[in-house]
Amino acid sequence: MALIADGFWRGFAKEACWYPRPRDEAPAVIEVRHLTKDYGTTRAVDDLSFNVEPGVVTGFLGPNGSGKSTTLRMILGLDRPSNGTVTLDGRPYHELRWPLREVGALIEAKAVHPGRSARTHLWALAQTNSIPKSRVEEVLEIVGLSAVAKRKVGKFSLGMSQRLGIATALLGDPGVLLFDEPVNGLDPEGILWVRTLLRTLADEGRTIFFSSHLMSEMAQTASNLVVIGRGRLLAETSVENFIASNAERTVRVSSARAGELAQLLRQANASVREVDGALEVSGLEAPAIGETALAAGIALSELTPQSASLEEVFMELTSESSEFSTTRPEGTQQ
Amino acid sequence: MTTLLLPKGKRAGLRQQIASEFTKLRSVRSSWVCLVLMVVLSIGFSILFPAIIANGWSTRSPAERINFDPVSVTQFGIIFGQLVIAVFAILAITPEFSNGSIRSTLAAQPRRSDVIAAKAIVLAVTTFVVTEICSFAAFFVGRAVLLAFGGHAVAGELTLAQQLKATAAPVLSLGAPGVLQAVFGGGLYLTLIALIALGLGILLRSTPGSISLFVALLLIIPGVFQALPHSISHLVEPRLPSNLGAAMTSVHVRSTDFGGQLLSPWLAVGLMVLYGVLLVGLGLWRFSRRDA
Repeated sequence: MALIADGFWRGFAKEACWYPRPRDEAPAVIEVRHLTKDYGTTRAVDDLSFNVEPGVVTGFLGPNGSGKSTTLRMILGLDRPSNGTVTLDGRPYHELRWPLREVGALIEAKAVHPGRSARTHLWALAQTNSIPKSRVEEVLEIVGLSAVAKRKVGKFSLGMSQRLGIATALLGDPGVLLFDEPVNGLDPEGILWVRTLLRTLADEGRTIFFSSHLMSEMAQTASNLVVIGRGRLLAETSVENFIASNAERTVRVSSARAGELAQLLRQANASVREVDGALEVSGLEAPAIGETALAAGIALSELTPQSASLEEVFMELTSESSEFSTTRPEGTQQ
Repeated sequence: MTTLLLPKGKRAGLRQQIASEFTKLRSVRSSWVCLVLMVVLSIGFSILFPAIIANGWSTRSPAERINFDPVSVTQFGIIFGQLVIAVFAILAITPEFSNGSIRSTLAAQPRRSDVIAAKAIVLAVTTFVVTEICSFAAFFVGRAVLLAFGGHAVAGELTLAQQLKATAAPVLSLGAPGVLQAVFGGGLYLTLIALIALGLGILLRSTPGSISLFVALLLIIPGVFQALPHSISHLVEPRLPSNLGAAMTSVHVRSTDFGGQLLSPWLAVGLMVLYGVLLVGLGLWRFSRRDA
């Protein structure tokens, strides 16, 4: 049984609260196998297979239109796959006995009847899974909407709707949480709040799967990654491995005798480019470059290993699979 | 602080879904607007039409006298109210499609038949309770108005010949043969209309689309059949919902507006149930196969 640290709730909830999680079975794992979805002649999801591991935050990354939402809808049994299967803890979604208590999902923030209050919206959903009314007040408190619980949802800002969507997902205190673009429309404070919430929920042993088209979001929050482009699996790995294996690492070198050094490095099979008056070396690690320079008696004014940001790796990986990529100017490398 | 213990019962099912659908139905203003409008219409017309007819009885044409029905004259508001009830029913489902909240509904209860069944049950029960109150209230108000404007209380249904010769509008009490059934028929008819409209809503998913189709079925199609040869129009016309409604709320077997013959009340109920079951069933079949 994991507790949510009191400190986390300060600032979000008037009173600190914690939730014991009476669950003895192992956390669920989402298994996606050969999932395919066709809309007419367009293939939105193409033979997609991956696992979502228990107890960690897994990011679901892909450019806009790459099939993330479609995949999430198929996991929830909302869309029927053209082919393939999705199971949660070995069962398809419609076989869950108390769906909201097992899987919580944020699909679309604005998908609420605009004339209903936040409280009634949550209460109507709570009733479907025999969730007590007191829990509605709790989730309102957790997402910071208690003060506006009576207000019509149609008057909510996107940020408030997003919080309501997260409250919906938390309603049944589920072991598996799916969030589609949870930071969309949130202000910086809200984004920080979602990140902390996701990590806290994962620390409690919950399985979290959230999608984003923002790489930086993934680097901040997720530990595992599922990357798709045009409905196909591009990578399924940890965030660290993803960067390490996909990024071409370079070293930035400055020296008064740059031209001489460049020649030496090329002889050592490194590729060298001149960038902003410095050398960008790939194919040779920083210590080897230092030794080469020392052996030739060349003084270095800078020797900095550059690691690609997740953003760059992502752009690199998905540039060819992006549905809506901009046309590149002629002559540039594809 | 709530500890979410697993509830009793095997799984989230119809009982839970019914509670949820009831919360949804009463938590939007449109539901209340429709039901209040229904009450106002039924009572309003139960004053208006009986007053006009009883007052001008001596100037009525023979055809109008023969077609006079002491119950259905009080139920005009019920027949006009079918549009209001249809909107009420359609708005219980189509906004979920247009605003996307059907996905939250289905994530909470993935068994789509439970969702549709719960909606149909909640809608039917609510409509039945409200519209039965309306049709009984309309009958009593209408009867009082008929008497106040010169109607004569009679013990039982008059023959058409008697009705033609009557010097004042005949007025029946609730205890007279066939009256209770016809008054009860008003609410029952609207309940079945609600199910038909729900079925259209599930099939079409769009609020304006569903309302337009319902209006077309009710108002435009009868006109189309009138233009067809009599052999066809006389067969189809009495089986259209509005004429089934007239049959269900009448003590007489009368002719339709376009000269056909109304069906017997029981046959009318049977056909309305068939339409409702067919449309909701078709809706469920489609709903179960489509992406949400």
